[in-house]
Amino acid sequence: MNPLESLFNPKSISLIGAAHTEAKFGGIILKNLLRFKGKVYPVNPNYTYLMGLKAYPSVEKLPESVDLSIIIRPAPQVPEILKAHKDKAKCVIIISSGFAEIGEKNRQDEILHIARELNIRILGPNCIGIYNPYQRLDTLFLSYERLKRPKKGNIAVVSQSGAILSCLFGAIRKTNIGLSRAIHYGNAVDIDESDIYEYLANNDETRVVISYIESVKEGRKFIDRARLLSEKKPLLILKSGKSSRGQVAAYSHTGRLAGRYEVFHSILRQFNIKEVEDFDELMDAAKAISYQKPSPGQRVLILTNGGGSGVLAADECMRQKLEVAPLPEKSLKILKPLFPSFCVLNNPLDLTAHARDEDYLTALHELKEDYDGFIVISLTGVTGITERFIDLLKDFKTNTPKPIVSHIAYDSISRKLTLLLEKIGIPVYPSPERAVRGLKALLNPSPC
Amino acid sequence: MLKDFIEKNKGKTVFLEHEVKGLLKEAGISVPKGLFVSKEMAEQLSTRVDLSYPLVAKVSSTKISSKSNVQGVRIGLKNACELKKAVTELLQIKDAEGVLLEEMAPQGLEVIVGGIEDELFGPVVMFGLGGIFVELFKDVAFALAPLTEEEALWLIKQVKGYQLLEGYRGRPSVDKETLLKIIVTISTFIATGLIKEIDLNPIALYPEGAMVLDAKMLVNAQIGNLRPNNGNTNSP
Repeated sequence: MNPLESLFNPKSISLIGAAHTEAKFGGIILKNLLRFKGKVYPVNPNYTYLMGLKAYPSVEKLPESVDLSIIIRPAPQVPEILKAHKDKAKCVIIISSGFAEIGEKNRQDEILHIARELNIRILGPNCIGIYNPYQRLDTLFLSYERLKRPKKGNIAVVSQSGAILSCLFGAIRKTNIGLSRAIHYGNAVDIDESDIYEYLANNDETRVVISYIESVKEGRKFIDRARLLSEKKPLLILKSGKSSRGQVAAYSHTGRLAGRYEVFHSILRQFNIKEVEDFDELMDAAKAISYQKPSPGQRVLILTNGGGSGVLAADECMRQKLEVAPLPEKSLKILKPLFPSFCVLNNPLDLTAHARDEDYLTALHELKEDYDGFIVISLTGVTGITERFIDLLKDFKTNTPKPIVSHIAYDSISRKLTLLLEKIGIPVYPSPERAVRGLKALLNPSPC
Repeated sequence: MLKDFIEKNKGKTVFLEHEVKGLLKEAGISVPKGLFVSKEMAEQLSTRVDLSYPLVAKVSSTKISSKSNVQGVRIGLKNACELKKAVTELLQIKDAEGVLLEEMAPQGLEVIVGGIEDELFGPVVMFGLGGIFVELFKDVAFALAPLTEEEALWLIKQVKGYQLLEGYRGRPSVDKETLLKIIVTISTFIATGLIKEIDLNPIALYPEGAMVLDAKMLVNAQIGNLRPNNGNTNSP
């Protein structure tokens, strides 16, 4: 069994520093833990009951050894509290800050030393912990009133920043996708991104992993685990801190050119680990791969009822190294008599404002063998587009396993169409460019 | 071979150009035919050197990191007279330990191959296009060392100017096989953990063959202390 199982799927939890009021972090966490499916033991010597649960005066007095213990007490007390966990916990989350991040390296080394002695794994310190909607497990000190949680789903979020984790919650909710696990590992004194990748590689509820990274401690271990994970399921990495400063006091030209980020970026490519540029691309790509399975190839068909939108999509394809190949001769012959003479039979294929729902399907059916991925752009200001559009696309999607994404412009029925399309597993984006970036995550752009 | 070289020079961390080139030559990498003239030997420098003109003369010093910054290079020396003058001038440069004389190499496509001990990833190898491409555009790519020839081929395709190697607008294509061999050799050098930094800059690539025109190397101060492969550590 993976040692992180007791972190993500505990049967019992103790909370050291539980509080009676949501004015304190210990109170918010306790309230969130009331949703948890397993046992919860609040620890606080001043109370016999907290939020309706029996409270315990100390770790030693816990009625059983727990899978997971959460510590939210001032940093100077943490080493002693941790020692008290001898034979009382398999894993602890140290929420408290006041360790290496403020220069207290010794204190951080001390807790690692204690945990190793006691055979306990540590998440943190200086972290907000985990969220596992499948167990209704939530250690975040953020209330549901202030930060709504995404629904259950197949995306795991691994973040080195608590702030980014909370922002991703909002973005994921808005994107209409769901979470399998979310974790913020803070100072990573023990459990780091590599350990988490290893766990997620074998977690069946997770199909996609997105990872926000500021720095990694052990480069080779990180690459090793990231590679193993990406071989099993899509992994998207967003790296911040891209300044191109070379290695300090370099003797050689190579050393001066070897900026930390340049090396990181190159090595991710070497092992075929996907990196995204920024927060928006992370969300656009995550959405696409949460909805659909990646597929080989780079040839894209752009199908639109608005010329300009199609051209913007084509431009973005070029920037993203996707190929907007012309329509094959044989298809031109077949399609020509089927569409009005003013349709631009090219790629982008512009059905013009006269387009009707079934025109999209006619084109898709004729061209489905010739392309690897499809972008369907539908501007809903014209009367030819109705809800039948959804049924027709659904029909196409069930018959071809190739990636298909959509851009629907903001308009009268657009919101409804968007919801319906996403229901049948086609991600919808608010701009042509973002639709392309979503599709890119499902295909293999050419390397140069 | 690298191990023997470092063993022989125990205690030394920085090497003179001709010493690094000697090592490269032993590893099967071509360098220009040359002769190192130490400060002491310079007096007896006979007018007849066993090299064919034109020659290039370069100041040699472990303390000088950029020869061109100190005007330490003379090219196109056509005869003994010019040579003598150049050597005399170069030896007057501060910290000069000697002069390296080399036959002028024909013009080729210049690239850089290097290796460093990256603070995060350990041994890493770099490839880039030389001249203004590396200076102005930083058109370089990195990979974890060591590399196979196949991985080295991947590496050279990562730079934006890769097409230049294939021959571009009438220029001849270069000997990629030799280039790949050089990259693989340097990647195995850096992967030993014995050296901290190595630079082959520039390397002139020709339709057939390649020649390392300048090279430097910094040996790890704690030699003998082979770094462990930290690929699978940490799991308690």
